Amino acid sequence: MKKPTEKRIRALFAEHSIPPMEVIIPILEKAGHGEQELTTQIYDTYSSLIKGLKEILGLKDKNMKTVAKVWEIVLGFEGAKFEPIELTESRFSFSIPDCPMLHVGKDVSLNVKGKFCDLICTAGSRALMDTVLSPHKGNCTWNKALIRGAGKCTVVFELVKVT
Amino acid sequence: MSFLKNSSLLISILLVAVGLAFILIWLNMTKSTNHADLKTVLTTTTATFGTLLGIITAGLMFTQGKFSELASELAEKSPDYLANVLSLERIQSIETDLLALRKVFSQLAASATIVEERNVYERIVTKASSIFVDFAVLLNLKLTQEGLVDAGLLVSEMDSSLYKVYQKRRQSINKEWQIFNIIKQIIDTWEAPTAFFSEKSNRVTPLQVDLKSSIAILKLKESVDKSSKSIRSEVAKTLGGLNDEIGEISKRLHEDRIPQLLPQMKQASTIRGKYFYLALAFIATPLLINLLILPQISETTVSFFQQIIPILSLLSVLGVIFLLLYIHKILNV
Repeated sequence: MKKPTEKRIRALFAEHSIPPMEVIIPILEKAGHGEQELTTQIYDTYSSLIKGLKEILGLKDKNMKTVAKVWEIVLGFEGAKFEPIELTESRFSFSIPDCPMLHVGKDVSLNVKGKFCDLICTAGSRALMDTVLSPHKGNCTWNKALIRGAGKCTVVFELVKVT
Repeated sequence: MSFLKNSSLLISILLVAVGLAFILIWLNMTKSTNHADLKTVLTTTTATFGTLLGIITAGLMFTQGKFSELASELAEKSPDYLANVLSLERIQSIETDLLALRKVFSQLAASATIVEERNVYERIVTKASSIFVDFAVLLNLKLTQEGLVDAGLLVSEMDSSLYKVYQKRRQSINKEWQIFNIIKQIIDTWEAPTAFFSEKSNRVTPLQVDLKSSIAILKLKESVDKSSKSIRSEVAKTLGGLNDEIGEISKRLHEDRIPQLLPQMKQASTIRGKYFYLALAFIATPLLINLLILPQISETTVSFFQQIIPILSLLSVLGVIFLLLYIHKILNV
């Protein structure tokens, strides 16, 4: 990646930063509300981030390859390691050994972590698919393995076939 | 990095070999010690120490030269920083923003009931105060350089503990180039890398990140607490202002390679200080031998003084080890 491009992407990430989950989740858990606002924040942040990335990198194709490329850059700049598993025309899957939920305090229950894992992944993946794939539709699933104590979590993006 | 590790391993092996050789030689020598032998051993030791001292002195002079070169490079740049980069308007604007942050987040911390939330606000107060003190120190130096009197307006905003920190930091600046330590400290407390996934829990978050976190929290609280909206917009505005002002200073600092030069200075200073004591040991030992031990050696005292030979051999081995490490470090400055 060329230096000016990298610099622009860094600036983009600095401008659109994700809320700190290790702080936000205990607050929302104890306050008992604000989940909708968090979903909106995550969706908006990732949408702006991905739109910016597409513009900087000149990515126009609305396919799984672009989803994979964008996600790879997002995870890379966020300092997350990931291993691609499969990339086809209709499917992109990968595994991650770390996620923000692991940094949420131990006093937060697994149920709560699970709930917020769904909320964050739904908002983030929806933003990615809406921004990259639209007008095509996609689905994203994750197995929550990390919060259950397994070493890696598998995430799968799939194109929805129009019948 | 692997090169450094390999070279360290090689040096370690070499040192162990040298050490063993020395010990064996000295032990063999002590077996048949008589008056003349002991004198020869001590004279040889004195000569060896003298040679090593020569090498250490040359190394020390090299390190001192490097240190002075870096110090003068930084000292040349410092007046421009105090006069232009740290303009009065910029410092005043930053200090006003920091004071506002301290006030807002002290109140928020006092009213927050959730620990994690309170922690974020308290961290912001602590870091804003730290940067506030740093800029107060820089302002004082700037005014002193320009021959103006510091009215102490910023100092009047400090409580007793902050004032102590201010005094300590102000007194730590004895040389012109040392202002860069303060500026670097400000940038490090302020700026943020982008990564948020890994090792986050172990990292000290910069003020910029904590402010963004607080904005996210305040945004989430807007639905139940209407005042959060106005506070959030104020904090966002202040964050933007600080980003612009401190960003300018940071940009210039990086253009001038100050973040690279300061660690080199620190390393040169450490080597210089640490190995000064090595030089002292190499001066003191031959003096001790020549002035105190050699005149006392006779046929009757030889059995007593031969006990010091293992100590001297150990000292020689240690000296050589430290010397090699010293040379290795010098080459990396």
